[in-house]
Amino acid sequence: MTAAAPPQSSPSWRKGIIAYLMVAPPLLLMILLIFIPALQSTARTLTIDVNGEPGFSISRYTAFFQDPISVSNLFFTFQVTLITLAAIFILCFPLAIYLRFATGKLAGAVQVLALFPLFVPGIILAYALIRFLGTRGTLDNVLSIVGFTGYRTPYLKPDAIIFGLVWESIPFTVLVLTAGLRQISDSLIESARDVGANSWQIFWRIILPQIARPVLIVFSLNFLGIFGSYTIPYLLGPAAPQMMGVFMQQTFGQYRRPDDAETQAVITFIICAFIGFLYVRTVATQRKREESE
Amino acid sequence: MSAQQLAVPPPPIDGFWSGTRRSFQTMIRRNGFGLIALVLLALVILGPLYSVVLWAFAERWQYPSLIPQVFGLSFWERTFARADIAEALPFSIVLAATVTLISAVICLPASYAFARMKFRGRQLLLLSFLATNAFPRFGLYISIAVIFFRLNLIGTLPGVILIQLVNTLLLMIWIPTAAFQGVDRSLEEAALDVGASPLRVFVQITLPMVMPALSAALLLTFVNTFYEAQGALVVGLPRIVTMPVLMYSLINSQLIVQYGAIVSLVLWAPSLILLILAQRLLRGGYLTAGFGV
Repeated sequence: MTAAAPPQSSPSWRKGIIAYLMVAPPLLLMILLIFIPALQSTARTLTIDVNGEPGFSISRYTAFFQDPISVSNLFFTFQVTLITLAAIFILCFPLAIYLRFATGKLAGAVQVLALFPLFVPGIILAYALIRFLGTRGTLDNVLSIVGFTGYRTPYLKPDAIIFGLVWESIPFTVLVLTAGLRQISDSLIESARDVGANSWQIFWRIILPQIARPVLIVFSLNFLGIFGSYTIPYLLGPAAPQMMGVFMQQTFGQYRRPDDAETQAVITFIICAFIGFLYVRTVATQRKREESE
Repeated sequence: MSAQQLAVPPPPIDGFWSGTRRSFQTMIRRNGFGLIALVLLALVILGPLYSVVLWAFAERWQYPSLIPQVFGLSFWERTFARADIAEALPFSIVLAATVTLISAVICLPASYAFARMKFRGRQLLLLSFLATNAFPRFGLYISIAVIFFRLNLIGTLPGVILIQLVNTLLLMIWIPTAAFQGVDRSLEEAALDVGASPLRVFVQITLPMVMPALSAALLLTFVNTFYEAQGALVVGLPRIVTMPVLMYSLINSQLIVQYGAIVSLVLWAPSLILLILAQRLLRGGYLTAGFGV
């Protein structure tokens, strides 16, 4: 019995191995299908040049940035992303504040509607928006009935992409922002008031820091989602310029130029790297804080 | 402090907070912010779905009538008589179920380990699954596709299953991990004390307590995978055609509007299940779990 005391470490060591074996399969899958493709693509864009010759070279990047179509597509993607993000915040902030304060049936109905897009898959949304926004679509129809005949459809224009992407982003954004605003209790404001803080200080020191993390999460995830989108821009957007997702798929699937598509993909990785890092860091610190509480 | 607060009713808060609150309350009352939000959201959110639903049951619908001239179901027969649709629909259901099952088999043991076992790097490895969200999605698909291209996995079932599995990891690990962490350990210990075997404790005590979260994770994974179109499009074509991928071509060659409308309605069924369970999913925080928040 006494001899059993020292090998205490052996079962826990074995337990550690078992734990690693249990987490290994999904981890391996993620490494194989996310980290390795991303790293390998990045490495290949630098070690295989634009003519397919091996050796260190940045010629694939210079080729991308010298091609006016590629550059205009990248610029267009940026433009759509930033405008869509601005529209999302302008729409969802008031909604979230309203849902934080209001109670009753009206607020309940607003919430149901704001969350509804969560239950409409992107591909169905695209079809629905064509029928809604298109020439002789529902909107055109209703407007002409009330006597407005100058309807110019946004379908196959950038506006339709923005409309669709905002539509998709409303529920997630409203959910996260409302949850963030709910964290701020009235009593916290009250005690700050007791120690003599003015309205401005309360806003900067209490409300803003409390809502900063939700805002960062919403910003980063929406940015990544829009920048990496395909279905909405492909089905609702113009043939040129294209968003990067559509451009990559065309390069890969239609023109059968996987190397060029790879370069395009890596350029989106590089642009989104900081945003992706911001997202992971924000969620990580949030979880750490929740666990310590 | 707290006794004092209990004894004396809290004094009315003045200044910024109550000011904001009051101004919002008056805004709601006077300007009807909620009412405006409700009407606008109803138009923008439900408007696009209006014509999809009507088109699915329309025999003849000519502009500029707001409703179809002739209702009927004859296009339903024609839709499902199409070989591509009749083939893709059952295939998509089986594929989504397969991916969900594989995901559960590899992720659930891992989530148990993350929740219950102590090992070095546990927190870091758990957070690493956020990487699935931290990339611009379509860029990542292209990067994966370039590797699959060289491995001859393009247009194959394993290729599609692999790319769809990646999307399921975060949800299938994070929801169950949180559930296993939330189980009251004292119940398990009590059962062990009265002589129940660890397996029996797991099946009869632990499992029932995590079951709601596990079924939510399974359901959400199934529905998300069923609608996953982009990965399947990049990797699956031309030989593997899922229902959402088929939707792309139905939308692009919209000679008969009804096909797209009917398929949209049929495809929407899994989302309807989520919608019915929405309140429970929302309360459990499951709907945003896929974003890492």
